[in-house]
Amino acid sequence: MDIKRNYYEDIELFKSNTILVWSILFLIFLAILPWLITKYHLLGMSLYMVNLITINAIVAIGLNILVGYTGQISMGHAGFFALGAFTTVILVLNWSFPLWIALPIAGFTTSVFGFILGLPALRLKGPYLAIATLGFGMTITTIIKHMEFFGGRMGLQAPKLYLFGTPMKDIHYYYAIVIIAVLMVIGAVKLIKTRVGRAFIAIRDSDIAAEAMGVNLTYYKTLAFAVSAFYTGIAGGLFAFILGFINPESFHLIMSITFLAMVVVGGLGSIMGSIAGAALMTFLDIKLQAIQDIPAIGPALVTFSEKYMSVAGISNVAVIVYGLIMILIVLFEPLGIFGFWIRTKKYWKTWPF
Amino acid sequence: MLGQLIVSGLAVGACYALLAIAMVIIYKTSEVLNFAQGEMAMISTYVAFSLLDSYHVPFEWTVVFTFLFAILLGMFFELVFLRQAKDPTVIGLIIITLGFEMILMGFAGWKWGPDQRSFPFPVSNIEAYNFHGLIISKINFWTILVTLVLMFVLFLFFRYTKLGTAMRATQQNQLAARVMGIRTKWILSFTWAISSMVGAVAGMLIAALGVLDPPMMMDPLLKGFASGVLGGMTSLPGTAVGGAMLGIIENLFGGYVSLAFKSAVAFAIIVLMLCIKPSGLLAKHYVKKV
Amino acid sequence: MHQAKWTLSETLCEKGLTYPLTLALSPVGRGQGWGKNLRKEEDKKMLKRTLVSLSLLLVAIFLMSAPGSAQQRGVTDTEILIGQWGPQTGPAAPWGAVARGTDLLVKIINEEGGINGRKFKYFLRDDSYQPAKTKAIAKEFVEQVGDRDPRGVFAVVGGVGVACGMTARDYLMENKVPWCGPVTGVYEWITPIQKYLFAIYPLYDDEAFNLTGYLYEKLGYKKIAMFYQNDDYGKQGVMGVERYLLKKKISLVAKISAEVTDRDLSTHALKLKNSGAEAVIMWAMPTHGALILAETAKIGFKPQWATSNTLSDSALMIQITKGLWSGMINSNFGELPDSNHPLMVKYREAHKRLAPQERWGVFYYAGIIFAEPFFEGVRRAGKNLTPETWISAMETLKNWQGIGPPITYSKPKTPMDRQGGKHVFYGKVKPDGTIQKLTDWIQITK
Repeated sequence: MDIKRNYYEDIELFKSNTILVWSILFLIFLAILPWLITKYHLLGMSLYMVNLITINAIVAIGLNILVGYTGQISMGHAGFFALGAFTTVILVLNWSFPLWIALPIAGFTTSVFGFILGLPALRLKGPYLAIATLGFGMTITTIIKHMEFFGGRMGLQAPKLYLFGTPMKDIHYYYAIVIIAVLMVIGAVKLIKTRVGRAFIAIRDSDIAAEAMGVNLTYYKTLAFAVSAFYTGIAGGLFAFILGFINPESFHLIMSITFLAMVVVGGLGSIMGSIAGAALMTFLDIKLQAIQDIPAIGPALVTFSEKYMSVAGISNVAVIVYGLIMILIVLFEPLGIFGFWIRTKKYWKTWPF
Repeated sequence: MLGQLIVSGLAVGACYALLAIAMVIIYKTSEVLNFAQGEMAMISTYVAFSLLDSYHVPFEWTVVFTFLFAILLGMFFELVFLRQAKDPTVIGLIIITLGFEMILMGFAGWKWGPDQRSFPFPVSNIEAYNFHGLIISKINFWTILVTLVLMFVLFLFFRYTKLGTAMRATQQNQLAARVMGIRTKWILSFTWAISSMVGAVAGMLIAALGVLDPPMMMDPLLKGFASGVLGGMTSLPGTAVGGAMLGIIENLFGGYVSLAFKSAVAFAIIVLMLCIKPSGLLAKHYVKKV
Repeated sequence: MHQAKWTLSETLCEKGLTYPLTLALSPVGRGQGWGKNLRKEEDKKMLKRTLVSLSLLLVAIFLMSAPGSAQQRGVTDTEILIGQWGPQTGPAAPWGAVARGTDLLVKIINEEGGINGRKFKYFLRDDSYQPAKTKAIAKEFVEQVGDRDPRGVFAVVGGVGVACGMTARDYLMENKVPWCGPVTGVYEWITPIQKYLFAIYPLYDDEAFNLTGYLYEKLGYKKIAMFYQNDDYGKQGVMGVERYLLKKKISLVAKISAEVTDRDLSTHALKLKNSGAEAVIMWAMPTHGALILAETAKIGFKPQWATSNTLSDSALMIQITKGLWSGMINSNFGELPDSNHPLMVKYREAHKRLAPQERWGVFYYAGIIFAEPFFEGVRRAGKNLTPETWISAMETLKNWQGIGPPITYSKPKTPMDRQGGKHVFYGKVKPDGTIQKLTDWIQITK
């Protein structure tokens, strides 16, 4: 079942019947998730958090296309995120575009900037590329900060959206975001399986060899940046609306680093991995501070802090744990969460050998 | 005003250059971009602060103990985290350093609390030397001096000593270096130790110029990257020159063009430099052979 | 080896646009895959099973409908739930002290038996000054905290950060959650007028206006410059200063801004010196305060400095400026740390007992200042505590004072009716870091 008999089998969306059934079950799960969350308070999550996770997943997939599949690096994706957010809000606020038109336009605008970033990236590799993208991301945020058109330092308030007359609540946003996310996931999976995807992977494995084989480096590298920026831009637009108020200050370097962490922790080169990575990192980011509330560990931490550390800084334990998890996953499973999954699958498949 | 801007630019550029030197040392040997550089320096500075403030250790001894701590910190990081990584990719290494940065920042915030502190440095930032109307504070003067000396010493070290040559060899081809008899693992630890020490020096000077608090090195780190890019990530004199230039350009821009966009200059320089001459001003560009 | 021809799907993918379309239009891919296999027995069974469980689930959804709850959110006969977010970690961590200060006040009140027979349960959350997290915390406060339905807090007190608060504001207001005392003095809390939002922090704009007036008229400084941080806080300060100077038909001799992350202020200091200002008004954060003072002292520029109450923690400032802070004029929004006001004595004693490790700084007991009016409102609302009764109670506060400014609210006809704190007083910093009062409480907002 793993061996493909011809090219068309290789590029089909669902490799086997099992995957199709699980996909359908997962979609059903997604459909009833809002009800599960509000009724049973699953893991202490709110629908807003699920929305945030999905948005981060879209960014992670976009970033993975660039980093995992094309082998580039980007530490400036917060800039694209900000661009997408601000463009969408301005389109809706000033010119009353409906959201479903404003989002793709914002996506395309962002991908233009992605293309621009891709141009110098052609000659850069590794650490130099990381710094260049870092600089690019911060320049975008600084420019947005100083332009009054974008609301200046005070930020912009995202307008209220109405769906057939009723104001949109978390649950409406949820379905809209999930539908968009599913479309983008299908798009990404399909993209990887086609010529374009193969070109990306070839560039990642050895760009000189790829060029020798006829892959147009300029075209495909900039395309990778553009596609990645497109995904991030759309996610940014959605983010602006679930947050309600955007401020250029909040799109900082730490956000870029978090996106990168999601991709690496989830698994480079794996769409499912990026979704899992986004889910894990977002969840940890918001919920890790609950460490202080755990019955046994909490008070122990407090007494320990009183003796050797400062009580004022006790919330930093969450930051330490977050960094530690990041490092441990990268150290012990370079393929990330996806690597864990593959290993578990292999273990079950080859048992009892 | 022009003269004063240039002199202040040199002073602040020296700080950036120190951090950049620390980064370049690591980059020269293991091609890893150390994003945790700033926080490692910050923790060493906090240790110095504790020694000076709570235990009243005299300054000279504090410096010695801080250096010891920095060396141990650098070696600890290299041993425990980096060495465990099996066949790491560039981006995997970046994530590891970023994770370490978070751990260190969280640890500093936890141990010493988030309030700003004043770092008791024996040389004052207020008293200044006055050369024909150009004012430069004592600390600024010493920073420039220390940077120049350090840069010179390290440059000679890398170029002319056996150990320095061994380090350069390890960067160019680790396997070949091991075949030639160089103990690469030890070299790597040593590199991190030296880099951490230089970082500690940078941290103490920067804290003396301003305030000591956990996020104090976040901005200097980025400026350090910019200096490294400007001058060349593989060239020590290059980064010092890069730092000086960055400081001067920033100040001139702030003084004559726009104070508001001053901090964006560093990033614009990074992007421009990488477009025009990626390897930096003073570094040789090594083209990888296929 | 036959050449793989481009299918329709590949061409479309190549253009990179119509992904859903390709999925629909690639019959070759689909037919080869699962169409055939569906004839197998196990897969038919699986599909059947899925359909059955799905329909059961739908039935279950219809049968289980949660009945609406009539109880007030966050209030029981014995407990009232309140929450606050704050930057406990990250670059803004020093302001996390505010949320911890409110914790002290809650402990004190609970020790005294609570209010009207109810004790308080206080939820402190860390948002690291990131609005995305603040929104998550706001949702948690409204939808999840507590262990009985309906979930949620009764009210939110305090809350540092404008961007953070703005993310949460509309959500809290829509859900009719009372919010008392955001810890920033910006207009966004009172315009547009919010029924459930009660602001306490004196407005930066008015504070700057009045401070400039004090320097110009009372102290006689005519050449005034401004050094400010480039964000909403700094910009609203500039607004106030320029509004006053406009009245006098003069302008600032220098208007210098710095970015939050800037650590090198030598150029800023140089420009200030070259402007020849006699007094410089500073609207910045502690780190910048320390840096600019060091830089100007270095080049020999010693004007009269004046600043807002964000830098009123003079004990901290005198330390990090190595003594240069002496002589600074700043406004204050609460009793001085060493004051002998009976409430301050009581709070200090409780602090020594319950939270000795915390520094008794201005922004620690600011957490008390911005929560006191809330608790007074609860007291006045009586046993029947709902948002409406609490609001009516708050609107009866006229010049009520705890350790903060005198608080006055009224029915919300104008924005200022929801601006409780309208006074500050000025002080000058002495060489030992304590403040000497220069004036009594001055009204800055009409």
